[in-house]
Amino acid sequence: MAQNVNPFLELQTDAAKQSNDSKKGSNDNHAVTKRLHNELMTLMMNQDKGISAFPEGENFFKWIGTIIGPKDSAYESLKFKLSLDFPHSYPYTAPQVKFITPCFHPNVDNGGNICLDILKDKWSALYDVRTILLSIQILLGEPNIDSPLNALAASKWQKQEEYKKYVIDAYKEA
Amino acid sequence: MASSSSTEHTVKDNAGDGAQNPETKEEDKKDDSMFECNICLDTARDAVVSMCGHLFCWPCLHQWLETRPNRQVCPVCKAAISKEKVVPLYGRGSSKQEDPREKVPPRPAGQRTEQEPGNSFSGFGFGDNTFHMSFGIGAFPFGFFTSTFNIGDQRPHAAPQGTQQHMEEQFLSKIFLWLAIVFLTWLLMA
Repeated sequence: MAQNVNPFLELQTDAAKQSNDSKKGSNDNHAVTKRLHNELMTLMMNQDKGISAFPEGENFFKWIGTIIGPKDSAYESLKFKLSLDFPHSYPYTAPQVKFITPCFHPNVDNGGNICLDILKDKWSALYDVRTILLSIQILLGEPNIDSPLNALAASKWQKQEEYKKYVIDAYKEA
Repeated sequence: MASSSSTEHTVKDNAGDGAQNPETKEEDKKDDSMFECNICLDTARDAVVSMCGHLFCWPCLHQWLETRPNRQVCPVCKAAISKEKVVPLYGRGSSKQEDPREKVPPRPAGQRTEQEPGNSFSGFGFGDNTFHMSFGIGAFPFGFFTSTFNIGDQRPHAAPQGTQQHMEEQFLSKIFLWLAIVFLTWLLMA
C-alpha cells in the first residue's frame, strides 16, 4: 500500500510532522530550562555543605559542579570540579557527569567518567543536581570495589596510607 | 521530599526573627511544595497520584513511562506503576485548565463503583444458587397441568453448599440429567 502513496503528499506530511516535532522540542526545552532553573534556585537557597553547581556561561544545559572531598577520607578538603551535561530529554534521562579535576578512585576512569548506578540504569526523574553531587561525594568515601573502572585504585583501597599518596599525586587543582 | 522539607524548616527557623508577614509567606510556600510534581518540580498540572501515593503531572508521568516502557517504576519509591493504575485528582475547576493542544493521551478517568445494592432482591430466587430440574413421564395432555400450572408449588430448598446432603443432591441431579439425555436419544433413534 505504501508504494501507492503520492510522493508529493508524503513529502508534505513529512514536513508537517517535522515542524510539529520541532515545535514539541521547543516546548520540551522550555520545560527542561524551567526545571533546571528551579534546581539552581534550590541549590542556592539550601547551600549544602561541600557541594555547589552553576551553569557554564549562557548555556543552561551545561553546568560546572564542585565537590569537596568528604571528611575522614583520603579526599578530605580536596576540591573536585565536575561537568554536567543535560540532555534535552532531562529529567527523563540522566545527565552526563564527568570529573574535570583528575580523580584517583576505583569507580572513576582516566577520562573522568564515573561508574554510578543512579547515573545509568537506576536513574529516576526525581534525582537532581543536588542529589547527584551528594551521591558522588558519598561515592568518594565509599567506593564500590567489586566493579572497578580503575583496578589500581581498587587494589590500593585497603592500604589507606598508600592510597592517599596516589590520590594526592593524581590531584591537580584546575 | 523529606530532606527538602527539613531544610525548609531550618530556613524558616532562621527567618523566625522577622515580621509576621514573611513567616506566613514561608508557610504558604511550604504548602505549595506539598503539591509539586515529583518530575518537573512545579505545581502539579493535570495531577495524578500513583498507587504508592506520589503526585505527578499527568504529562510528566506519561513521558516518564514512555521513556522506559520495559521498566515502569515510580520515580520516587521505585514501586511498579502503570498508566492504568493512577488516580486523577480533580480539584475545583481543574477541568477548565486543560490544554487541548497537549499531544499526550488524555489523563485516565477516575474509576468509581456503584454502591452495592441492598438485600431487597434476595427473595427473588436467583441469588441463592439453587437449580431445580424435574423430569417426568405422564399422559400427554395432563402433563401440561402438572408441569405448567404448579403455581403454588413449594419445593424444599436445596441443601446448603458444602454439606453431605448437597453433594448427594448434586450427584443425583447429574444422574437424572444423563438418564434424560439417554432417554431422549433413545426416543429419537427409535
